[in-house]
Amino acid sequence: MMKKEKNTGRKKRTAVLQRLVLGMTAGLLAGIFSGCTVREGDSSTYQTGEESSTKTFVFGDTTFNAENGEADINPRHDNGGWACIRYGVGETLFRFTDQMEIEPWLARSYENTDELTWKITLRDGITFTSGRNMDGEAVKECLEALVSEHDRAAGDLHIAEITAEGMTLTIRTEIPVPTLINALADPYACICDVRAGVTEDGIVQGTGPYRAVSLTPDTSLELVKNEDYWNGEPKLDEITVRTITDGDTLTMALQSGEIDAAYGIPYLSYPLFENDGYTFTGCATSRVFFGAMNFESGITGDPAVRKAIAMGIDKEGFVEGLLDGNGYAATGVYPDSFAFGGDAVTAEGYDPDGAAQVLEDAGWTDEDGDGLREKDGTPLVLRWLTYPSRQELPLLAEAAQAMLGEIGFRVEIINTADHNRLRSDSSAWDIYVSAMVTAPTGDPEYFFTYHCLDSSDSNDGHYHSDRLEELAEEMARTFDVQRREELAVEMQQTILDDNAYVFCSHLRMSMIAKAGVTGLTAHPCDYYEITVDLDYE
Amino acid sequence: MRKLRRTRKQRRMRMQRLAVFSVLAGLLLLTALFAEQLCPYDPYMQDYGSVLSAPSPAHPFGTDRFGRDMLSRVIAGARTSIFSTLVLVGIISVSGTAAGVLCAYFGKWTDAVVMRIADVCLAFPGLVFALAVSAVLGGGTGTAVIALAAVSWPKYARLARSRTLEIMSSDYLAAARLAGDAPGQMIVRHILPNIAGQILVTAVLDMGTMMMELSALSFLGLGARIPTAEWGSMMSGGRSMLQTYPWVVLAPGSAIFVTVAVFNLFGDALRDCLEP
Amino acid sequence: MKRYIIRRLLSLIPVLFGITFLSFALMHAAGSDAVLQSMDASGITLSREVIDARRAELGLDRPFLVQYFSWLGGVLTGDMGVSYVSGRDVFSTFISKLPATFLLAGASILLTVVISLPLGILSAVRQNRFTDWLIRGCSFVGNSLPNFFTALLLIYLLAICIPVFPVISEGIGVRSAFLPALTLATAMSSRYLMQVRTAVLDELGKDYVAGERARGIRFSATLWKSVLRSCMTSLFTLLALSVGSLLGGTAVVESVFLWDGVGKLAVDAVNMRDYPVVQAYVVWTALVYTAVNLITDISYHFLDPRIRLEGGRR
Repeated sequence: MMKKEKNTGRKKRTAVLQRLVLGMTAGLLAGIFSGCTVREGDSSTYQTGEESSTKTFVFGDTTFNAENGEADINPRHDNGGWACIRYGVGETLFRFTDQMEIEPWLARSYENTDELTWKITLRDGITFTSGRNMDGEAVKECLEALVSEHDRAAGDLHIAEITAEGMTLTIRTEIPVPTLINALADPYACICDVRAGVTEDGIVQGTGPYRAVSLTPDTSLELVKNEDYWNGEPKLDEITVRTITDGDTLTMALQSGEIDAAYGIPYLSYPLFENDGYTFTGCATSRVFFGAMNFESGITGDPAVRKAIAMGIDKEGFVEGLLDGNGYAATGVYPDSFAFGGDAVTAEGYDPDGAAQVLEDAGWTDEDGDGLREKDGTPLVLRWLTYPSRQELPLLAEAAQAMLGEIGFRVEIINTADHNRLRSDSSAWDIYVSAMVTAPTGDPEYFFTYHCLDSSDSNDGHYHSDRLEELAEEMARTFDVQRREELAVEMQQTILDDNAYVFCSHLRMSMIAKAGVTGLTAHPCDYYEITVDLDYE
Repeated sequence: MRKLRRTRKQRRMRMQRLAVFSVLAGLLLLTALFAEQLCPYDPYMQDYGSVLSAPSPAHPFGTDRFGRDMLSRVIAGARTSIFSTLVLVGIISVSGTAAGVLCAYFGKWTDAVVMRIADVCLAFPGLVFALAVSAVLGGGTGTAVIALAAVSWPKYARLARSRTLEIMSSDYLAAARLAGDAPGQMIVRHILPNIAGQILVTAVLDMGTMMMELSALSFLGLGARIPTAEWGSMMSGGRSMLQTYPWVVLAPGSAIFVTVAVFNLFGDALRDCLEP
Repeated sequence: MKRYIIRRLLSLIPVLFGITFLSFALMHAAGSDAVLQSMDASGITLSREVIDARRAELGLDRPFLVQYFSWLGGVLTGDMGVSYVSGRDVFSTFISKLPATFLLAGASILLTVVISLPLGILSAVRQNRFTDWLIRGCSFVGNSLPNFFTALLLIYLLAICIPVFPVISEGIGVRSAFLPALTLATAMSSRYLMQVRTAVLDELGKDYVAGERARGIRFSATLWKSVLRSCMTSLFTLLALSVGSLLGGTAVVESVFLWDGVGKLAVDAVNMRDYPVVQAYVVWTALVYTAVNLITDISYHFLDPRIRLEGGRR
């Protein structure tokens, strides 16, 4: 009796619930579908746009954001010039070849009349997208605006006076600036029409193959073809540059076909695109992952310890094993693509046994057999300061921790966003590992000026070499490019012989595009992405 | 008579369930405790010769991008993940409940002050807090626990407070008050037992959430220090490998799932037995 | 009631002061600043002079208290300043991100309720049977997946395997909102359906349920009228807290789906030490929490008149 009652009760409950669940599911589905239909209208207009033979292209990029100083494409604002030049809006007077040598671009030629004076002749027949003709006066206005608004440019150029006469431009500098032409190839020197101004969104009028029409910071940039481009006809009608900061989202957006090409796909997702559906383009850049030794420290102040570190890091293993080949083991400051880079210099090779021997000979021994070496009661503890914002840096730290651990170090990793404050306190670290662009203008002087000299602001490890100071002084007054390159090799060799720095790997920048995309080629300076050649079948 | 027998049978079943899940939870705790002894390989041994190899008899869970054995890392991670989560949930549920009950019971300015502090903590963005705390105290799991505890306790306080208010307005409590029970007695005897079930369920379910939150901090570089094995950071570190090398994410993911499930079921069983 | 609301709003003032000061102090304690952070991101080393000049431009060279009070002075005169990073007006930037955040929060709450309420009740009514175990199993899975993982999984399934939804949002719309909302709802529902289940079980065990059945009242009526009603209070507390945190932005989900809301804005601002934006965000979260709490407390009063409002008690 009791049991039967219970059963009917249960049936009733089940029925009620089924109705309840069904009702709610139906409501949910209705909601989704109504949502879909609302949006369908939009997507169909988009498709008709495509049918009327308008060629559109979507480029996904992880770096186009305010965090990288690219809130907009105004070259005078922060690193806006990078976006300006990469996405084909602006161009510079000079550009880099694939060997990172300088060649004229918007300029036709230049002449260095004396140490302080440069005469630049401009190319004829170029107009800004604003319609204005690019002449000496326009370039003068642009460069004057640049040095008054952009601190870094002002510091590089040291411009005293610019005079314009027809298509020639005469620049006089305050002090001898051997690298002036290189600096004019830096993205901040994109030539824009100053009179046309900068829109509220940070859009400028340049001379490139594409014209910017709208910009939303950290989101997207809309470009249209520049009908009057001076150097051929751009092949695409409309380009959208999408900021996609998350690497995995970028990967899946390329997989789903929502974007046509991508910059910044995580290395580990590469296998997904290693097939006929996609093409890769990549090359080494001058961004180097390197450690600077602290000469004030009791650990890295010891030349033997520095030598052991240089010998104890398996750069090939790091690049091949961890980065899956997406990087290049570094020897010196610059990659192979530079005349004075790659194998032009020599550094300690990977030799863990040798490294252990060096330590042993210098008195760093493991008396108690715990795997950690000591000398006069000081354990061989290496404080490795680095930061998380570049994905390779923590990996390098973790790899080095194990590699150096084998030869008797204990590596303590300090991985923090606050590294800039910490590194100025030389008692807080032994080796500072960062990722820096070593030759943004193709010239070797930059790296040494900023990192290795007594006067360098970033020489927090207080490295000093009389020889290096001498060479640097010579370089500062040398205009001959050949001689500068020789000096660059000598200077690199000096710091490598002192094991003051250990250069681990160069960044390989890669772009992946759908098969059918042509004219998208990685460039060692990382400045040229969307060019007049870009096309999509 | 018949009804009584059924409750007895039910009670026995509940006890059995509780026993099963407490054994499972105990096993997890033991794994965490003896992680070092249980690992088949050294969880920190890197081997570039076998990077990202798929699961095989030698490496049942495969290897990660450093060539480390995933099984060993999952076992080693049990200690970091389970213990830090337990400590975190313990701190927030106890302190939050205490604050909530006291607020509801004493009302007036106690309530006003504590709830304003809770407001500040709740309204304060956890990310800003976590970043600052880690900068001041240095990174590490301990710091992450402190940062999360500071912003998570008010949830319990509010829950406990609203439940206590509900109970306080019942006739049953009015009777107890008339009977002359002291405040301490009232709280321990009448209020806590009535809210314990819900707090416990929340706390046990929070194991998963808090494990996630800790992992989110690890992801931002604020949690477990390199190269400590910790499930959350192992998952975050493997996120790009979901399609290409899924085992790197699935191994710690399954470990989290099993832990969350066991603690949930354990909590449920416990609640059934605790409640009259 | 009116007096009560005014009193609560007044109590917001000390909270706001406390919270903005605390965040300012903490951000400073965390070290680094907008200039140095942008140097890291770009990898271009800046000279000491350039760094100092930029700091002076942003006013970062002034003492900490001066910075705080000048910010506060600006806010009191209706000026929230400009972003250190983008140079844009903070107030208008922030306002422009709000619709996206509201839409996402609303959609996720709706999905959560739609998923967790029926499943929770079903699971309670069919306690310890197959349906119950299945639902609870799913809830454990949902509970043990980090947000970013759920997000990637959903994108993989619903945008790549079966291309129904877009990977990257096509502006702020319902179709684009679905995947991020589902991601958030998955995690929340997994927790709420267990809460619903517990609450319903509690109620079902009470005497009146058996009593009503004995009196011949239909089970569905009991379920709807009495059981659900008494579960509402605890469900409401939890939902209110979730609304608060959703309106505070959901950093991970927003950045995975490129959803242009306040969460992403805040994370970027914290990373870049963009103080004015961080402060705006902190003020916003404080406002949201206060509003949500106030509304919750008032609704308690209506849901269950036995609970009296703070002002009127004793």
